[in-house]
Amino acid sequence: MAILLLTTPTPAYRPRSRAINRPRAGQAGSPSPIDRERERGRGRGRGKFKKGVMHVIRWWEKRNQSVTALIFYSTSYRRRTMRIKFFTIILTLLIFSTSSIFAQEIKIGGLTDCTGATSDVGKDYALGLAEAFNYVNDTGGINGKKIKYTWFDYGYRIPEAITKYNFLKRMGVIAVEGWGTGDTEALSPTVFKDKMPYVSASFSAHLTNPTKTAYNLFFAPDYSTQGRAVLTTWFETRWPKHKDYGKRKPRFACVYAFPSPYASAPIKAIKDHATMLGFEVGDDQDVALTSMDTKSQIMGLQKFKPDVCWHGNTTMCVSATVRDAYALGLGADWLVNYWGEDENLPKLAGKAAEGAMVAGPAYFFADDRGKMKLVHDYAAKYNPGIPAKDRIKFTVTAWANVLLLREALTRADKAGDLTGEGILKKGFETLKDYVILDGGLGTSPVTFTSTDHRTTGIVPVYELRGEKFNYVKTIDVKARWPEKWAKEWFGW
Amino acid sequence: MELFLMSLVNGILVGGVYALVALGWVLIYKCSGVLNLAMGELTLIGAYVTLTFYQAGIPFILSIICTLIIGIILGILVERVFLDKLIGEPILAVIMVTVGLSFFFKGIIEFIWETKTRVFSPPIFPLEPISIGFIKISNVYLWSFVLAILLFLIFAAFFKYSHWGLAMQATADDETAALSLGVSARFVYAAAWAIAFMSAGVGGALLGNINGINISVGYLGLLVLPAVVLGGLNSIPGAILGGITVGVLQNLSGTYLDHYFPGGVKEVFPFAFMTVFLLFKPYGFWGWERIERM
Amino acid sequence: MSHVWLPCGLYHQEYEEDHGWWQTPLIKGKMILLLAIIFVGFPLTLTGYWFGVANMVGYTALGALGVQLLIGYAGLITLGHAAFIAVGAYTSTLLILQFPWPQFFIDLGLAYPISIVIAGIVAGLWSVLFGLPSAKVKGFYLILTTMAAQFITVDFLITQYISQIGGRGQAFSVPPGTIKIGPWTIDSEIKTYFLVIVLLTLCIIMVTNLLRSKVGRAWIAIRDNDIAAETLGINIIWYKLLNFFVAGFIAGLAGAFWVSNTAAISPEHFPWFWSLWLVGVVLIGGVGSIHGVIFGSIFMVLVMEVIQLGVISLGDVFPQLMIKFLYIKESVFGLAICAFLIFEPRGLSYRWWQIKNYFNLWPFSY
Repeated sequence: MAILLLTTPTPAYRPRSRAINRPRAGQAGSPSPIDRERERGRGRGRGKFKKGVMHVIRWWEKRNQSVTALIFYSTSYRRRTMRIKFFTIILTLLIFSTSSIFAQEIKIGGLTDCTGATSDVGKDYALGLAEAFNYVNDTGGINGKKIKYTWFDYGYRIPEAITKYNFLKRMGVIAVEGWGTGDTEALSPTVFKDKMPYVSASFSAHLTNPTKTAYNLFFAPDYSTQGRAVLTTWFETRWPKHKDYGKRKPRFACVYAFPSPYASAPIKAIKDHATMLGFEVGDDQDVALTSMDTKSQIMGLQKFKPDVCWHGNTTMCVSATVRDAYALGLGADWLVNYWGEDENLPKLAGKAAEGAMVAGPAYFFADDRGKMKLVHDYAAKYNPGIPAKDRIKFTVTAWANVLLLREALTRADKAGDLTGEGILKKGFETLKDYVILDGGLGTSPVTFTSTDHRTTGIVPVYELRGEKFNYVKTIDVKARWPEKWAKEWFGW
Repeated sequence: MELFLMSLVNGILVGGVYALVALGWVLIYKCSGVLNLAMGELTLIGAYVTLTFYQAGIPFILSIICTLIIGIILGILVERVFLDKLIGEPILAVIMVTVGLSFFFKGIIEFIWETKTRVFSPPIFPLEPISIGFIKISNVYLWSFVLAILLFLIFAAFFKYSHWGLAMQATADDETAALSLGVSARFVYAAAWAIAFMSAGVGGALLGNINGINISVGYLGLLVLPAVVLGGLNSIPGAILGGITVGVLQNLSGTYLDHYFPGGVKEVFPFAFMTVFLLFKPYGFWGWERIERM
Repeated sequence: MSHVWLPCGLYHQEYEEDHGWWQTPLIKGKMILLLAIIFVGFPLTLTGYWFGVANMVGYTALGALGVQLLIGYAGLITLGHAAFIAVGAYTSTLLILQFPWPQFFIDLGLAYPISIVIAGIVAGLWSVLFGLPSAKVKGFYLILTTMAAQFITVDFLITQYISQIGGRGQAFSVPPGTIKIGPWTIDSEIKTYFLVIVLLTLCIIMVTNLLRSKVGRAWIAIRDNDIAAETLGINIIWYKLLNFFVAGFIAGLAGAFWVSNTAAISPEHFPWFWSLWLVGVVLIGGVGSIHGVIFGSIFMVLVMEVIQLGVISLGDVFPQLMIKFLYIKESVFGLAICAFLIFEPRGLSYRWWQIKNYFNLWPFSY
């Protein structure tokens, strides 16, 4: 209130207006007859509560001829009561905002997208994070200390991500589970400066260089490695069965959203790999993440007649593209980026998505192998409203990220150092060939070193047949091309 | 040549659906002077409502009719609750209220139907394309276009031959004169919004067939604006032709201009074209040449 | 021009006094107190999180100031302001990162301040480019051309061309330590806070001066009745373009500031939603008043924070329904905008003005 009272000089005097003479927003001038007509029939209140409130107000008014009078008597009765209700609600909300209990607790923060542009894949990830943290607490937390997990939905509005991150910092979190390339890249310099471990759902290879982004971490092989593995699988399993095998080079083209950092991250690596394997590489086609009609891009591809195409976007866009490709008879096989092929793709695109290949660094949701039953049980327990057939694989991805963080925190805690740098050096970077949940989620062994944050080169590849994902083969990119892996392919 | 014809035909077909949504927009503007920026969300509501009916087992055409009915009810409600109070307010406040409405609708839609992509299953239109000569058209686009034309004819008949339609035309032409003849302005506003909800709803249901229903279907609501500008704010045939033009522009620019630019021309080209166009013909093709004091 | 409510017994005897900024001793006292609180009091008493909030408020206010100039003082409704902020941000970043500054510039820490000014000028010129249609079109069509400006600039030019300069991914993260103003490195919350309040104060002074002058009067004339203004000899096109330039300049400053707040930028920081947000700030604060901009920004930022806090606390109580609450938050926010516009169409500054006049006119305030 003090601040409000101290501002620039009063503007010129205008006639005191009652509601009836009220000019409109931003306009000078007198009201029209219609406005006066509207004002007349306002606010005849009845009811004991209102009478009681008015009684209190009148008493208060008699006591202080002050601001109350101005606020409460300048306009109609209905407006007053509306304002009272409004302020009451605000007060209640404020009272309810309590701060967390300070116990032997470890605080972790989360930033997710449940309502924004990537929410179709983001919501399952957010649910998976919450369920996995429940599992961690149920199995003893971090050496006995419970985790208090607070998460915010920032709706892919980056400025909000930044304020929420600051809020989490103030709350005292020691690590953050982030989401997509937008917030990860925006916060990357900040987490580097704050030394805050940031486990993201973005697997961009640009985040694997510790000299630039030491605190951006994730469990899966990065997008470039995944792309190389999937392309190699196609080259070794499908191309030999092609009728032109041996007669010419196979043709390869990329379809992705040029400006999106997520989609464009692995493109250079994949095209380099294609050239190395002996493909003929065609022009890229730009398809926006929210595209619904991609016919013109498919027609552009048809001139090149590719045998295989890489799609770098998310599921909605991929399904639009493959449907258009099917309708126009493109005849190419599809290799899809990690966030572009999930259990929704066959439902959206039907036959058109048949045979699409994708990397599978963790099991799909319907898979029953290993410890997947845990995932199913926790999903049913904490989100019973969503049937299991509607859950997608990103829940498992979230579990893997959380359990990776748990292991790092446990190690750092045993070494007695739960600061940011401690978690990185004594937690993450001590992980060598560590298998999350003993392989129960279908992940490959994870290794972090102080010079290389690429966790693994082992990529299982799946293809979509019917409505199921069939395992094809596993490519170990690191073992196949060790010299290139070590130096040439690092960081992009 | 083949490429050109295919893009053109696809553009016209898609444009038919845009035109349907644009029709609703122009109607609201003509009858009540409200510039509605919540068009995308109206499309979404229609799409989701049709989906709900369809998944309850009702055949598609009947679901569309049910969506129309719900559209009428919602249109009247929205108009009474939100927009009645804004009669007489300056244009900016009204636009911002529609913006606020769009956030509100978005939240409600996400609350009821979640953000997962949903599909019409079993699929309504077969996946295989129809070939007319050498042009391949997918079923979805063709039938959407047909349905859109059907709705235009129904609306045209409504406006020309029915009592209420004539009342709406009169109000759109000159409100005070119509009021003096006993036309109820409030009814006309409510009817305008109802029709907008209906047309956007059907447009949304048709578009939802193309690629599943998700929040991003609502982004096409933005494309309505170049469509109405090109056609002229005040003209209904202008809206239809504007919608088709936008569809054609998008497809042609996507096919031909993508080579010269790194990409992303398709989304932006209608807007760029519209800006340049406005410099030469500020009122669109068929808009009324009236100096409007805003 | 004295628009100030002078109390009894206070006479101006010189023209300078009449033209003065602060015309009564009470106002002088209030203003000095306000400046003391903002420049000295807050830094000493607030903690890290509140500085972040203050930075957001300052950034919103800078953006909304430009929008207020366009909407409230020249009647040009704009829905594409985030594009000009983006232009300013990218200009500033590119200058810092790519331009080969002579070494002594970097040592003296002049690179960033110069880049702020240049960013402002470039954004202003870009704004004028998209203001050219206003010479021919009005009202709704202008809204659409500004929307087109937003999409063409951010979604097309910046996304496709500009952000590709230097490669993807790491190109537009500014390494820590690069942003220096003179001897100070801007790398913590409190320093960005000082930067934003200095920028904001300077901008408000500049804008208020402009409004007190011939230019401001011309703008108000154009807003109220542009045809009459033209007949009185005011060159409408020139003043409209000047308005676009000043609004764009301030947006450029805001963008350049944003770079120091988050040391990385990408086109996703400036979506169409942000343009709408700024217009909402202006409407809620009150069209046509400068302190409305400040009130609107404070209100919007705080409301978002409160709703988030409320949702989180309620989410603690009902963890199953957490996601549902997030959706409710969206709809509550939309509803709040509608409610505000329906019930308080003149905005917060009007209420503020009423309160002030109550005190000024007491005991005859009725």
